[in-house]
Amino acid sequence: MLPQSISSRASKLSRRDPTAPLRHIDPVLIGCTVILSILGVIAVYSATRGPGPDYSKSYLYKQATFMLIGAGAMIFCSVVDYRKLHDWAWAFYGITTALLVLVISPLGSEVNGAKSWFSLGPFQMQPAEFSKLSLIGVLAFLLSEFRGDIDIRRLVALLATAALPMALIMLQPDLGETLILLAIMMTIMLVGGLPTKYIAVLTIVGVVGVVGALNSPLLADYQRNRLTAFVNPSDTSNSAVYNIEQSQQAIANGGITGQGLFDGPQTKLGFVPEQQTDFIFTAVAEQFGFIGASMMLFLYGLLCYRIWRIAQVAKDSFGTYLCAGVLAMFAFSAFENVGMAMGIMPVTGIPLLLISAGGSATITALAGLGLVLNVYMRRFQ
Amino acid sequence: MDTTSPRLRMSLLGVVVAACFIALFARLWYLQVLEAPELAVQATANRTRTVATEAPRGRIFDSKGRVIVDNRTSLVVSIDRNELKKVKDSDDLLARLADVLTENGAPIKISTIEKRLADKKSDQVQAVPIATDVTEEVIHRLSEYAEDFPSVSYERKTVRVYPYGTAASNVLGYTGRITAEILKKIEPGTDPDGVEKTYQPDSIVGMAGIESTYEKELRGTPGIELVQVDFKNRPVGTESYQPPKSGNDIQLHIDIEVQIRAEQALVERLDVLRGTSQRDGTIRGAPAGSVVVLDPRDGGVVALASAPSYDPQEFAAGITQERYNQLQDVNGASALIDRSITGQYAPGSTFKLVTAAAALSNGLIDGNSSIYDDGVYKVGNPAQEFTNAGSIKHGNVNVVRGLTVSSDVYFYWLGDRMDGTTLIQDAATAFGFDKRTGIDLPNESAGYVLTKAEKKALSNKYPDAYPNGDWYTGDNVQLAIGQNVIVVTPLQLARAYAAFANGGTVYQPHVVWKILKPNSTTTDPSDVLRVIEPVVTGTVTLPPDVRGPIASGLEGVTSGLGTAASAFVGFDQQAFPVVGKTGTAQVDGKADTSLFASYGPALSPKWVVTAVMEESGFGAEASGEVTRRVYEVIANQALTGAGSAVNGSMD
Repeated sequence: MLPQSISSRASKLSRRDPTAPLRHIDPVLIGCTVILSILGVIAVYSATRGPGPDYSKSYLYKQATFMLIGAGAMIFCSVVDYRKLHDWAWAFYGITTALLVLVISPLGSEVNGAKSWFSLGPFQMQPAEFSKLSLIGVLAFLLSEFRGDIDIRRLVALLATAALPMALIMLQPDLGETLILLAIMMTIMLVGGLPTKYIAVLTIVGVVGVVGALNSPLLADYQRNRLTAFVNPSDTSNSAVYNIEQSQQAIANGGITGQGLFDGPQTKLGFVPEQQTDFIFTAVAEQFGFIGASMMLFLYGLLCYRIWRIAQVAKDSFGTYLCAGVLAMFAFSAFENVGMAMGIMPVTGIPLLLISAGGSATITALAGLGLVLNVYMRRFQ
Repeated sequence: MDTTSPRLRMSLLGVVVAACFIALFARLWYLQVLEAPELAVQATANRTRTVATEAPRGRIFDSKGRVIVDNRTSLVVSIDRNELKKVKDSDDLLARLADVLTENGAPIKISTIEKRLADKKSDQVQAVPIATDVTEEVIHRLSEYAEDFPSVSYERKTVRVYPYGTAASNVLGYTGRITAEILKKIEPGTDPDGVEKTYQPDSIVGMAGIESTYEKELRGTPGIELVQVDFKNRPVGTESYQPPKSGNDIQLHIDIEVQIRAEQALVERLDVLRGTSQRDGTIRGAPAGSVVVLDPRDGGVVALASAPSYDPQEFAAGITQERYNQLQDVNGASALIDRSITGQYAPGSTFKLVTAAAALSNGLIDGNSSIYDDGVYKVGNPAQEFTNAGSIKHGNVNVVRGLTVSSDVYFYWLGDRMDGTTLIQDAATAFGFDKRTGIDLPNESAGYVLTKAEKKALSNKYPDAYPNGDWYTGDNVQLAIGQNVIVVTPLQLARAYAAFANGGTVYQPHVVWKILKPNSTTTDPSDVLRVIEPVVTGTVTLPPDVRGPIASGLEGVTSGLGTAASAFVGFDQQAFPVVGKTGTAQVDGKADTSLFASYGPALSPKWVVTAVMEESGFGAEASGEVTRRVYEVIANQALTGAGSAVNGSMD
């Protein structure tokens, strides 16, 4: 329930104006978001509390804090009319791109060989996460301006706009985030009316590029190993194969009903790496089993369906493109993250939005959902 | 159709996203429902390790209830490799540990510690043993400064201890770490509760003797702990624990006092004789011999001595090739063979018991049938001559006197008369020769007593070793005095005399008498789990007109004109009359094999004692003397020392 003063004002507004935004919030989207966020906090706690009594709660508190900040961001992104945000898209893009430059400068801190974070006291900020949202913004802006009339010059402009943050993120290096930006770009351009011939060319270039990159010195050995591990699951010299094996065993260990909350031995004993972020799905699947994991996937699917539906009913193309971008962000993250844990996708470090631990990703995800809600609420205005 | 229509493009996006989620659902179903049971088993195997703790083995008692194999606690210092990896200055730690061990009576080099740590054979979860049998001071130091010795631990293990040293080592055998070969073929067996006593790659197992044949009784049930390990193989908890259960105790027929006396008498006599010359001038090599003491009433093995012998503990600890080669050549004989059950010898005149029984029971002679012994017996035309030892003339000889003075001529005559039959071979088989006795010890030999047909078959099969396959009267004549076509093991010889002593029952010799509960006493009957009952493998028909003359003949051997009289001078035969037969088997180019087979007391035999000594001379002077010294303990008579190398009576 909203506080009394707000809700009474909203009802007054809506009585006067049938198109008032607050009359048209999407309860399904909000419901899915709340349930998934709570599940995420529980999953992060179970994956980080440690094996013995004297359980560590620091991740639990952090993640809960991020959820609250994210809730604020979501409300902010939904109440300010998205058409006003339209004008801020380039500014936001500029800020996040500047942060991407700064993070690979000596100001950024290096963790596990990647310069992806700013250290802010007890917290770390990952600018690449925010750049997902800013890229959605500028691409939606550009394509809504182009109105489907895209020539080669405009295509180059679109590609250059996306390539700048992607290149900066590759310098960190962070392959996973780069791939998400790629997915966002492709999705918005698809929905934004890019001529089919360009899509075909881009697809061919993409396939050739991936194959070429895998066989070129551009990728470090560990990156290549991770990307190919799911293709050669019997190559025991590949440490990524071991991780995938452990992760799949942990998921299987959950069975139909799961081992119970806090009772997944495979995840508890650390056989699955990075289980609060990249492999969070194994913690969920081992503890809650097929019933719990498929419920989670169902909620995720329902959330994606709502975003897709909102993209279709949006008042204008800018709104449609924003939603398509957020849909790409959620759907691709989920498919890659969950698919990797189950051994059907390459190993890249992508968070499962709303579930994985991480402040920047959580806030970005909730802000993105706020935008979608924004578009939905103003579909009649 | 407008392929850029937003509606179409949105539908396309929807299809792609839906396909992604369907793929995830399908994969989740596959992993958690279809493949779950198989993958979950892998997961469990992944996160648990089995740690086995050996249970204390059962103890072994002698027939009088004395503990002859016991357990003791050994202090073992170990290092946990996983913990060691976390130690910063591990080299420093190893140096400190080497110092503490060296200063407190367990000298060790750092390089030795490193070598043990690097051993890939040792279990990856359990700590690696660095030093065993360390002093309490070492433990004091390590526990006092525990914080200086991270990853170092100590434990108390039970190991075998032998209160009587190497006595009966050939019977008891030894234990050692299981080999890959044994691990492959051993059957674990189950304990009374039905728990399988599984073996691990570092399990302790009986490697020889009773330790090996009664492995299933002696070995307890190992304690099995299923340790939960984390992804770095570090133990984090216990999934299940089943404590170890001690093995069953065992009581033997062996009387350790008699055993020790037999070993001592044998070794001392061999030492005295070695290098001296027997009557024909041949130097006695006296390298090896054996003594068997049986209980003729049930086949119980009271003593089983073999010389030269070895300390089985050397094998348990792992033996060097150099030491192994040494043991294979102790005074020209291998110390690794238990001659009492594996050695095969021509029985010589001790076999006359069988020849006499064959002739008497088939009516060829009676107790009074006599011939004139002029020292030579002639066979065939042209005559082949067989002589008594030293060509001594015994004059008028019947079967009784023939046994007492050991007239070869009398028995040549019997052999000649039984030529063309298998009467002697049949009697030998009835007395238990020509086949394994079935004693509960490994590596027993069968010996052989050839018939005409068998000699032919042997020659056909091995023409190089046995060029002449024809059977001559001379063969039967020599068989009658236990030469040429016959070899027996000392145990077979003892068993045959036991059968004669008890009136004709041939028993399977048995070392083990009773299986007892773990940690039992030998005085409480309720501790007995089961008794190994005597097994009768055959009978010899010995009516009074057969047994009587033979017994009379054998009774004379240890006194008066008997061939072993010299060996029993001073032994109180009134109190404990000994009945026996000497044997001197000729071996080409070497000194004779000396044999003596006996039983006592004469009228109610409770012991059979036989001695067989290689290249040691006549029966009485070597084996007779050893046997007499064994009887001194049995009959509770004054103990004498080893005599000098005098020449005894010929037989």
